[in-house]
Amino acid sequence: MRLARILVAARVALCCSGFIGIQLAMAQTPPPPPPPHAPHPKATPESIAQGKALFEGTCAVCHGIDGSGANGPNIREAAVTMGSEGLYARIRGGPIGSGMPAFTTLEDAQVWVIIDYVSSLGHEGGSIATGDPAKGKVVYDANGCAKCHTIAMRGGDLGPDLSKIGTMRGTIMLQRIMTDPGGNLPIDTSLVERAAYPAYLIYRAVTRQGHIIEGMRVDEDTFSIQLRDSDGRLHSVNKFDVNELKPEPGKSFMPSYKDKLTESQLNDLIAYLSGLGGAQ
Amino acid sequence: MKAARFTLCGVALVMLLLGSRMRSWAQNVTYDRILHAADHPEDWLTYGGNYASQRFSPLKQINKQNVNSLKLSWIYQLRRTGIAESSPIVADGLMYITEPPTTVTALDVRTGRPVWRWTADLPKDLLTIGLFPTNRGVAILGDTVYVATIDAHLVALDAKTGIVRWRSEVGNNKEGVAITQAPMAINGKIVVGMGGGEAGLRGYIDAYDAKDGRRLWRLYTVPTTGEPGVETWEGDSYKWGGATTWNTGAYDPESNTIYWGTGNPAPDWNGDARKGDNLYSCTLLAIDADTGTLKWYFQFSPHETHDWDSAEPPILFDATVNGKPRKIVAQANRNAFYYVLDRVTGEFITGQAYAKQTWAKGLDAKGRPIGLPDTEPSTKGTLVYPSITGGVNWTSSSYSPLTGLFYVNTREQGAYYYKGRPTIQPANPADVGGGGGEKILNGDAAYSAVRALEGTTGNRKWEFRMIGDSWTGTLVTAGGLVFCADANGVFFALDADTGKPLWNIQLGNSVRANPITYSVDGKQYVEASAGNSISVFSLP
Repeated sequence: MRLARILVAARVALCCSGFIGIQLAMAQTPPPPPPPHAPHPKATPESIAQGKALFEGTCAVCHGIDGSGANGPNIREAAVTMGSEGLYARIRGGPIGSGMPAFTTLEDAQVWVIIDYVSSLGHEGGSIATGDPAKGKVVYDANGCAKCHTIAMRGGDLGPDLSKIGTMRGTIMLQRIMTDPGGNLPIDTSLVERAAYPAYLIYRAVTRQGHIIEGMRVDEDTFSIQLRDSDGRLHSVNKFDVNELKPEPGKSFMPSYKDKLTESQLNDLIAYLSGLGGAQ
Repeated sequence: MKAARFTLCGVALVMLLLGSRMRSWAQNVTYDRILHAADHPEDWLTYGGNYASQRFSPLKQINKQNVNSLKLSWIYQLRRTGIAESSPIVADGLMYITEPPTTVTALDVRTGRPVWRWTADLPKDLLTIGLFPTNRGVAILGDTVYVATIDAHLVALDAKTGIVRWRSEVGNNKEGVAITQAPMAINGKIVVGMGGGEAGLRGYIDAYDAKDGRRLWRLYTVPTTGEPGVETWEGDSYKWGGATTWNTGAYDPESNTIYWGTGNPAPDWNGDARKGDNLYSCTLLAIDADTGTLKWYFQFSPHETHDWDSAEPPILFDATVNGKPRKIVAQANRNAFYYVLDRVTGEFITGQAYAKQTWAKGLDAKGRPIGLPDTEPSTKGTLVYPSITGGVNWTSSSYSPLTGLFYVNTREQGAYYYKGRPTIQPANPADVGGGGGEKILNGDAAYSAVRALEGTTGNRKWEFRMIGDSWTGTLVTAGGLVFCADANGVFFALDADTGKPLWNIQLGNSVRANPITYSVDGKQYVEASAGNSISVFSLP
């Protein structure tokens, strides 16, 4: 079967001579506009399952078996950042200079099920919210969430912008985050080169003068680390000029809402957040 | 005497030029000059700095005492974006770099201004299967610069102007052959390997006549019917065995021997259809430079299934082992073991792991790995160290004859290896079959480190840990310094004896190349390629 053979052909193993890291995979010429194509059918559990099988045979070699990146970039949230049409163009076009081939021999239906699967990755843990979103907004406002989070350009900036959170996290993941935020830190999507690291990881630094800085890691290289404290202040720390520098895994500036909200309040809040960004 | 007067005029002119700090470019890099590269440390004439591939420079103007005052001299911004992995050649006032995918640019070493630029015409349907379209550098011989193109041609360019002198096909890109490596220039010959091992082909290494591009010999790295070694491949699997030759090797002029590493057997991750040792994949080849015949071989990873190519540049040095003088070829292999071999006979002298590995109990008396159970890729995924990218990948290690240490930039990183269904056919890139995949433990679960190993034993003397997944080679100098960089753009100098950091600068993007050093007008420079730029540093 020619088609099956071509699919296998698409398993391009970026495995041998010098492949690139995540940051460089992104630095590429925009792909040409995709050819006219059939519209994207609605995703179903079956289409996601078919897409998973195709993904594992075709894409996983570079993007990792679960899309979290291998030699190619992490694409778990690519559906959010690029949209299905953007993904379609990327798969068909094969961005010039990245090493990603143009998958021109896949049928449209196959491209769409791959996209269904990729889109489902950000929703890991299911996406059916059972609460009342309107009541959830009341819970959000009443608990001061906006002190740290922004929705539609309003709110604080210590935590992530939640304007599109419904397209990025499934309900189970949202629940995990709200009950144990430090144990469920998301992957850092703020900077491409940070995409392999957890965001909001707290570090404790003790300076030579004994001053203690506790802050979320914003960025890091071998000689310096940039931390953001609970007041939002940025600290640039020279690693070779401190008495102590340690991560504090499991810790978060966000409190756990496990005992602060009732189960129904939590469900309502999750329903509200799940609807943000055009999902549901 | 007219001629004498003419000569005197010439001398006066040269003095005038030097006096006004102008520079003329002669460009005549004879084989003899490359042979005696150590006597001309102002130049960097081969990929590895010398034929022994040591990436050691006798320059010591920049040293432990003054390196902390190193300052930027110039930056060149690449005109072609992409993945920049070029290791420059410096000769007679020009620096030859490559820009991705195949552009050669000659820069004035004193100012970074481009003197000429040449770009390969590439086919629109260029195939790069299992590799990224980049280039790691040129070779120079006489008045000619040699570059291997991503579409698998070897091109000779006039060193002063970039004009094409000849162009020879090394492989058929339509069958998946592609080249990213720097060629190697020896006496009258240009040696070059090839990549594309996942395209269903047999690897080979070629030598071309430096004058006209005529192919002088070809050595296949996978034997065919009737040849010794073919029995190490089950059935027809040798026909697409891979074992490409995608990185630059070393050369011993005394014995006229080329040392070159080979890549993984194909398909990856699933060796069911290619039972056997799969010679000469994951092997170091010792090749007669005149005839292309194999003198000896040493296979590091028989029947390899984790994509641990053995393409890391081998390093040649002489040392005393157990009271006996030995001629050594050493390699820090992607499989996380460091090997010391006799480069005359191929005899295994010693070896040990230099990075975390969980796949072998150790090496036996002949250097063959003693494998551990349950380390093969599986449908559910098997966690094994090192990751697919290996203890080290294509970046070069260095060796200092002054310290006797081998400096390798390694990573401590594991991966889940998955086994898939391989389908691979000879010379048919439409039928590439990876045979599986992997999930790499990265981020905070991994780190890189520059490690100094005792050259003759592999015993670790010191390490300098870094954040992230560094893709930078090491450079060592007589100034007692090791230069390297982390994944986040910090280029730094370490004390070659202790690993203590002495200087660093943030260059704004990861350094994905091997740094070099050279000197001009009596001033030493250190070069690093970060992101899409070339930066050069010197003392104030």
